[in-house]
Amino acid sequence: MSTMTINGKTFDVTVEDNMPLLWFIRDVAGMSGTKFGCGKGLCGACTVHLDGQAVRSCITPIASARGKAVTTIEGISGNGQPHPLQRAWVEEQVPQCGYCQSGHIMTAAAFLKRNPDPTDEEIRNGVTNLCRCGTYLRIRAAIRRAARSMQEERT
Amino acid sequence: MNGVQNLSMSRREFLGTGAGALVLGFTLPACSRRAELSAEGGAMNAFISIAGDGRVTIRTPFIEMGQGTYTSIPMLFAEEMDIDMDSVRVEQAPHGPNYKVLFNDTMRFTGGSLSVRSGFERFRQVGATVRAMLMEAAATHWRVPVSELSTEPGYVVHARKDRRLPYGKLAALARTLEPPANVRLKNPGDFRLLGTSVPRTDAAEKSDGRAQFGIDFQRDGLLTAVVRQSPVFFAELKNVDKDAALQMPGVEAVEPVPNGIAAVADNYWHAKRAVDALSPEFDAGPHPEFSSDDYLERLRSRVDEKGIVAEEEGDVEIAFASAAKTVEAEYHTPFLAHATMEPMNCAALVKDGRCTVWAPNQGVDFVAGAAAQVTGLPLDAIDVRTPYLGGGFGRRFIPDYAIQAVTLANALQGRPIKVVWPREEDTQHDWYRPMTAAKYRAGLDDGGMLVALRVTTVGDGPNRRHAPQPMADTDLDESVVEGLLDQPYEIPNRRLEYVFEYAPPPIGYWRSVGNSHNAFFKESFIDEIAHATGQDPVEFRRRLLEKRPRVRKVLDTVAAMASWRATPWYGRDGRKRAMGVALHPAYDSIAAQVAEVSLDDAGRTQVHRVWCVVDCGFAVNPLNVTMQAESAIAYGLSAALMEQVRMEKGRAVNGNFDDYPILTAQRMPEVEVEIVNSGEKIGGIGELCTPPIAPAICNALHTLTGQRIRSLPVDSHRLS
Repeated sequence: MSTMTINGKTFDVTVEDNMPLLWFIRDVAGMSGTKFGCGKGLCGACTVHLDGQAVRSCITPIASARGKAVTTIEGISGNGQPHPLQRAWVEEQVPQCGYCQSGHIMTAAAFLKRNPDPTDEEIRNGVTNLCRCGTYLRIRAAIRRAARSMQEERT
Repeated sequence: MNGVQNLSMSRREFLGTGAGALVLGFTLPACSRRAELSAEGGAMNAFISIAGDGRVTIRTPFIEMGQGTYTSIPMLFAEEMDIDMDSVRVEQAPHGPNYKVLFNDTMRFTGGSLSVRSGFERFRQVGATVRAMLMEAAATHWRVPVSELSTEPGYVVHARKDRRLPYGKLAALARTLEPPANVRLKNPGDFRLLGTSVPRTDAAEKSDGRAQFGIDFQRDGLLTAVVRQSPVFFAELKNVDKDAALQMPGVEAVEPVPNGIAAVADNYWHAKRAVDALSPEFDAGPHPEFSSDDYLERLRSRVDEKGIVAEEEGDVEIAFASAAKTVEAEYHTPFLAHATMEPMNCAALVKDGRCTVWAPNQGVDFVAGAAAQVTGLPLDAIDVRTPYLGGGFGRRFIPDYAIQAVTLANALQGRPIKVVWPREEDTQHDWYRPMTAAKYRAGLDDGGMLVALRVTTVGDGPNRRHAPQPMADTDLDESVVEGLLDQPYEIPNRRLEYVFEYAPPPIGYWRSVGNSHNAFFKESFIDEIAHATGQDPVEFRRRLLEKRPRVRKVLDTVAAMASWRATPWYGRDGRKRAMGVALHPAYDSIAAQVAEVSLDDAGRTQVHRVWCVVDCGFAVNPLNVTMQAESAIAYGLSAALMEQVRMEKGRAVNGNFDDYPILTAQRMPEVEVEIVNSGEKIGGIGELCTPPIAPAICNALHTLTGQRIRSLPVDSHRLS
């Protein structure tokens, strides 16, 4: 038997190797913040972190998560307080239907780790998730805002 | 016809319409719907409950699918009731007559950009009535005349004695009082909340994964069903070998459902694998050879026919005969998918003579009615819960997915079952925006003024198959011609005609419905006339709006905002750029947009900026109006640039976001929105800004390239 952690909690992985991580998170671990959108890694609604890297969990077989640490939207803040991105999401009034936003935030969080001070162009090309409500401008503003506040926290 | 279709066809009350021409009625006094007091402690009426700690629950008949009603609707109650938004909890009202608030209290649905404007008077009246009852309760408690009392958010105040009582302490007494028959509403000048930008009530829970959508439903013992529907529209299941699938891990059942077959398992993945292992055989269906290309040819072949006259003024024949110049153009638009980010899904449980349905829906009574029909249970044994919708855009008027969930729950009683459609099922079994073609003909005088307009629109509309009577059976389908009729341009002689050409695929209501194609045709054509007569497109429209100052102001405002340029120029990036304009009134509101475009090296259209002006009479929540403008522009832009559902051999060809691409951040323009509060009758906002964007872009591309785009999507044209 192998295990993995989701948001620091250990889970036994007894399901088939090719079960996508998404469905383990949603249907086995029972955490619903990570969304199903396309099943082909095209929309990004299912984005989670695998050992800190953003992955599209709908096309990530559970076998590749064995022994690793998964972080989902429910665990991104880590300290009980909202993550700077989550605060920025509210301050910039990003969500409309809200369905894609968990994936956007997870993608943005990994993106800001690689690029803590991005330009608009870098955000546009680095966060490629889909949003059918078209909240892209507010997402970009929120990522900028979060980047600023994360830099202020560091200094 | 298959089961889903039959069910939806037989339930005529299913659907409303996006057509704006219907009169909204408010015949019932605001508080005639007293809540049954046994139902819930603290209930003041069907809409408002006040808990002892002062927290207020507002039961709204309108669902939240992103359009912001869970903020705007409570604002209407809160303004007159005098409470802070912080003390408000929003709850979705159950199905039933208490909450049918549209069309003379006969219907309830969320669409047609109707929620806020239909509730604008009534919900404020309900709030004011509750406030009056709370004041009456305080007057009784203190034994003072009510005229000495006032309110502050959450409190009744007795200024003379410097005392106050929180609403929560007064609620128990207040709800025993008779609601006053007449309450005065605030003057708009006294509004504390309405007209201010109130942040969304759902922003936090939609940023941390807590928000519950239909697909998130969980229960002990829950089974997940994945469906495989007939790829050919409306074909029937003939045969399926279930054995192999039933042997697969986690699989509990393989059951037919309306329009297909479902594998039922302990989780989505097991159900999906099982359904993929099935090889269901379907019959040929009623239209096995249907193709969208053929249908387009049929539409286009009929644009010179005489149609049903939808609007007529003056004498078009005479006017054309004496016109100095004529201009003609043909246009067409494709089938479109809604492509909500949350695929269709629904959970249901049938147990002990009751049926509970957890359905993301745009019409809870349609779901309840369908569940009653499937189970044979009475309506009062049906309970429908509506969670957040991961997008609606008109798709979730049609509860085909809910009918499947209830069918399975009825077959496997006692087990909660959640139906989830894979993306491919969602794309291939949408109720599409219909394809439409039109021919426009203009007669101009020697001053370049439009003296005659004849339009023939050919197609089919969702009203015919989904709307209640008598809308469905009228020859003139408003869902096809809305946005063509009642336009503000002054054209002395005009005849607008409609030719019906049955659309075999499933068609439905798509954000802005008929406006979505008519605005493209009309505003492109107005632009064509301006160019044919050497006139500035903004100036030409201004001339046609001399008697419509309210509309003209919207146009003038957007032209000023954009620093309108009628001719191309070179941007700082060295690329040629151009602007295009479009104007479109709908839903008792008016929108005008200017788009700035260029082409990249590959000849692909880049929309850099969009300026948008909105006059919705009175913006209840300017923040939300702005957000809906941004969203509606993105939705319309996505369709205009890249969306089309292609159909061959009776089925949709597209399946997922790889072959049905939608707008990405890379192609999202900067958007600037300005609101004109004209103070006119309040209009709708959720769909208003979708129609003008396609013509604004195409008009800009014409100025940029000299090429006129008369069909969508833009990306299917070669531009240089």
